[in-house]
Amino acid sequence: MKIAVMSCIHGNYEALNAVLSDIDRQQAEKIFCLGDLVGYGPQPNAVVEMIRSLDIPTVQGCWDEDIVEGLNACECSYPSILAEKRGKRAHEWTNDRIHPEVREYLAQLPLSLREENLCFVHGSPHNQHEYLMPEVNAFTALERVMATGADVLFCGHTHIPYVRTLDAGQLAVKVRQPEGSSTKQFTAPLKQIINAGSVGEPRHGRPNATYVIYDTDDRLTTLREVKYDYQLTCQAIIDNGLPAIFAWRLAQGLEYAERAEDPTHVCER
Amino acid sequence: MWAIASGIEGNLAAYEAVVADLRKSRQEVENFYLLGDTIGPKVESNQLIKRIQQPRKGEPTPLVCQGWWEEQILILHALGRTGSPTELIDRYGIDMTKTLWDAIDSTTLEWVRTLEFEFVELDCFLIHGSSLSVSDELTPSIDPIHAIDRLSRMDVNQLFCGRSGLAFEYRIESGSLNSQVQTLDNLTAPTPTILSNRRIIGVGSVGRVEGKASYTLYHPESNKLAFKTVRYGTKKGFG
Repeated sequence: MKIAVMSCIHGNYEALNAVLSDIDRQQAEKIFCLGDLVGYGPQPNAVVEMIRSLDIPTVQGCWDEDIVEGLNACECSYPSILAEKRGKRAHEWTNDRIHPEVREYLAQLPLSLREENLCFVHGSPHNQHEYLMPEVNAFTALERVMATGADVLFCGHTHIPYVRTLDAGQLAVKVRQPEGSSTKQFTAPLKQIINAGSVGEPRHGRPNATYVIYDTDDRLTTLREVKYDYQLTCQAIIDNGLPAIFAWRLAQGLEYAERAEDPTHVCER
Repeated sequence: MWAIASGIEGNLAAYEAVVADLRKSRQEVENFYLLGDTIGPKVESNQLIKRIQQPRKGEPTPLVCQGWWEEQILILHALGRTGSPTELIDRYGIDMTKTLWDAIDSTTLEWVRTLEFEFVELDCFLIHGSSLSVSDELTPSIDPIHAIDRLSRMDVNQLFCGRSGLAFEYRIESGSLNSQVQTLDNLTAPTPTILSNRRIIGVGSVGRVEGKASYTLYHPESNKLAFKTVRYGTKKGFG
């Protein structure tokens, strides 16, 4: 069965529409969404209404959580004061315009979803704010998959799609206790982390929307990149009084600002 | 040499037995760590804390961090990191909230508030639970992937903990894992990640088992560990 997995739509209705059309063309039988439906972009209500109307199984992202709970992440959420100011403006803008029923919908979203040997989260199984970057230590990455009990972990949050295959894991452990010692050998089965990228605010260097198609029969992943008229969204960002830098960022497909010193840091609230 | 203990749980006699054992060893104790659960749900905890704060001549001054019981008393007084004592009630029942509240006096509570969460020294991380949480109980049967995660979170080679109350050395002697990353523009060759000689050390429990206190000695220069068990009684013997 072919499934489509998308993430980080961020209020970009044009991008969502283009991705849904592409999913149709790929003949995926089921769609999963990894959260961050709102934030940054100019059409948060329309995006949520579309996801709801299509009954797409969705997990809660960090932006969705912040709109429900209010901004209370520690200062680590932003790499600079400038980035923090922009983020707060986007949060206020979204918070002011979100419909009550949309907020209710975001509030009841689960933190993870399971479908047979597949697990779906926004950031990591431990925290919506944790970035599972492709360069994170391989054993750490393996732990994140194994913590779910699944074979394949789908995540988003980084806005850059990738497939990481973890294989041929071997460990030798010696345990010593006052009553004696023992040696154990472990082998880790093949596991994968599949990052779905971002529909509405990509950061892979091009403005195109990204998502993934996964075939559960042959375990093959296709990273999809979809062209759409991103300039419509850029114009809407400016017309709606959101920070113009968001339009620039969308047009470049880049995180324009500084990168956090430790992207794997988990925010403690 | 470091002496590392945990789980006194208000058991003054057990603590005295450990301190006496250290004195008898005639080795200089450079650092004396108490990795939490120094207090327990009993009034004797207050006397124990006074004793710990006033070491006698020639005794090392303990470096103490918070444990599970310390976290529970802070939560009861709305000073904790979470708002409600769910874990305490789930584990011991609702009556324990009053027992613990009544047992710990305000002076001890103030002392608990001053405690560190953990210690990092050389390539060692010392904590009651683990780098995940104070409640995380690491045992000799921990999954090795989880063990590596707990070590990696603090980027250390050695993690000393006391939550389980068990004395053990869990050594990851060797490990390897291949990783391959495919992006939109690139497919990397499989890259091996190798690791060796990392360990988790359970330091035992001083006060949990009546009549038997256990703790750990560690020599940073040689990396050697020794698990110590001290028998003690609370009666006066022939005296």
